[in-house]
Amino acid sequence: MKRHYRLELALAGLIVVLAALSLMVGPAGLSPHAALAGLISGDGPEGIIVRDIRVPRTLLAALIGATLGLSGAALQGLLRNPLAEPALFGAPQAAAAGAALVIAFGFAPVTSFAVPIAGIAGALSSIALLVVVAGRHASLTVTLLAGLALASFAGAATALILNLAPNPFIALEIAFWLLGSLEDRSADHLLIAMPFMAASWIVLAGNARAFRALTLGEDAAASLGVDIARTRILVVVGVALGVGAAVAVAGAVGFVGLVAPHLVRRAVGSDPARVLLPAAFAGAALVLAADIAVRLGPSAVEIKLGVVTALIGVPVFLSIIFRERRMLEGAPT
Amino acid sequence: MSELLSARDVTVRLGGATVVERASLALHGGELAVLVGPNGAGKTTLLRALAGLIATNAAVQLRGTALAARWPRERARNIAYLPQGHTFHWPMSVAAIVMLGREPHADPFSGTSADDRAAVERALIITETLALADRDVTKLSGGERARVALARALATQAPVLLADEPTASLDPRHQLVVMELLRQVARSGTAILATMHDLTLAARFADRVIIMQEGRLVGEGPPSEALNPERLAAVFGVDSQLVDLGGARIPVPLRPR
Repeated sequence: MKRHYRLELALAGLIVVLAALSLMVGPAGLSPHAALAGLISGDGPEGIIVRDIRVPRTLLAALIGATLGLSGAALQGLLRNPLAEPALFGAPQAAAAGAALVIAFGFAPVTSFAVPIAGIAGALSSIALLVVVAGRHASLTVTLLAGLALASFAGAATALILNLAPNPFIALEIAFWLLGSLEDRSADHLLIAMPFMAASWIVLAGNARAFRALTLGEDAAASLGVDIARTRILVVVGVALGVGAAVAVAGAVGFVGLVAPHLVRRAVGSDPARVLLPAAFAGAALVLAADIAVRLGPSAVEIKLGVVTALIGVPVFLSIIFRERRMLEGAPT
Repeated sequence: MSELLSARDVTVRLGGATVVERASLALHGGELAVLVGPNGAGKTTLLRALAGLIATNAAVQLRGTALAARWPRERARNIAYLPQGHTFHWPMSVAAIVMLGREPHADPFSGTSADDRAAVERALIITETLALADRDVTKLSGGERARVALARALATQAPVLLADEPTASLDPRHQLVVMELLRQVARSGTAILATMHDLTLAARFADRVIIMQEGRLVGEGPPSEALNPERLAAVFGVDSQLVDLGGARIPVPLRPR
């Protein structure tokens, strides 16, 4: 079983191209030459635009996309189900609730650091609660049910915060924030989210072999030396760290965690371990592309990132389902 | 024959019910032992306990050391376990699935070794699945899946193999292929414990039959002694007759009692 890295290389190339485009696109469109000059010298308005505004935004888009893609692939590996996605255990919803709380009552503007910190705190406490409620050795079903309950609870908490917001402008601000955006995010946001995302990548990638063994079911995987309870808790925590940080910085960016692994799964022979890296790359490319698209809109108001990822993601997802359906029809169930 | 795996007074309680009660047995290298018993007798639970997959009272020993005291990967190198049902969740290739049997031997920092590839190829050949190597495992027939699952368990080349219904869903020819294969693998020094419902197959191929009823081991011995009509009546509730087949006495169940 030789490993080919052609897929990974192609995706990395795509990410580089999209990142370059992302540095050029915006209210002030820059030529490739001007963007490059601004990036290298840092002089003049081009330098400020590229270095202070577009580089952090581009990096955040790529890292958040990678985290979402990796989280989706990891959860699908853990649950042996291609429909699993990062929102399953409630971490993103809890992050959104934490952030909304701060925006509504913490007197912090949407772009302050208090927002991501509250979001990450929300995601971490949801995971702590999940582990307490479901127990360390809980079955998958119990963990899923507890996660579902927590997700619903966090969603209701966000709705309550919107409901009780001191004035309609704040409510509108929260509502827009929840749609997901990378507008006006700075290098500080990057620094806040980065450690959590990096920790999440390490934890999730460390369970790659367990995902592969789990294709045989939990008993056979355990007989191959996989500690199932440990794997489950590590993946839940890893996803919460990464996705919690992503949501805390950018708001809800849906569908990437679900779609990214699907785009690359067939190319790696459905191997749930090998799919992790390409899924992360595909997620990065998806969010980069979506974040370029929101800046290309004709209106003065940027379309929200989460809206675009859903608008791109859903048709892609439907087409995959359509293709798989045609393949599955006539096959033994 | 060396004693590889032994259990003394193993008791397993699941959800308040005692599923296995004080089961004691020993598995020896070179021997194919078959565990029979009615549905719900606790065969699968006993196998899982022997494989170290469920907590027991730590009375299972692998080569004289408590199983619970061993590292999971070391346990996995020594005990291969083939669960019922032959589940494959992802449409991976047959070769990739069988390679999973090498997981306990894998070095996390290197790829597959020549040993791994040789073990996988051998497992594919002896289970007659080599021709399926590049096929999508989820698109195979039930019998093909069963043989691929067995190949995966054999690829580990563990000294102990615990197989839960390895012949279920196989056609007559492949039942015989698998039984002959298990006997041949046992002859090369492996200790095998397999569960099955086909008493005729058990009687023809087993070196030793162990009978389980309501969580307890109620009898064991060479097939011709263990599977006598009185015991089959008491344990399975069937009338049966022993048929002489070239010197071997094979039980044939005739009717429910």
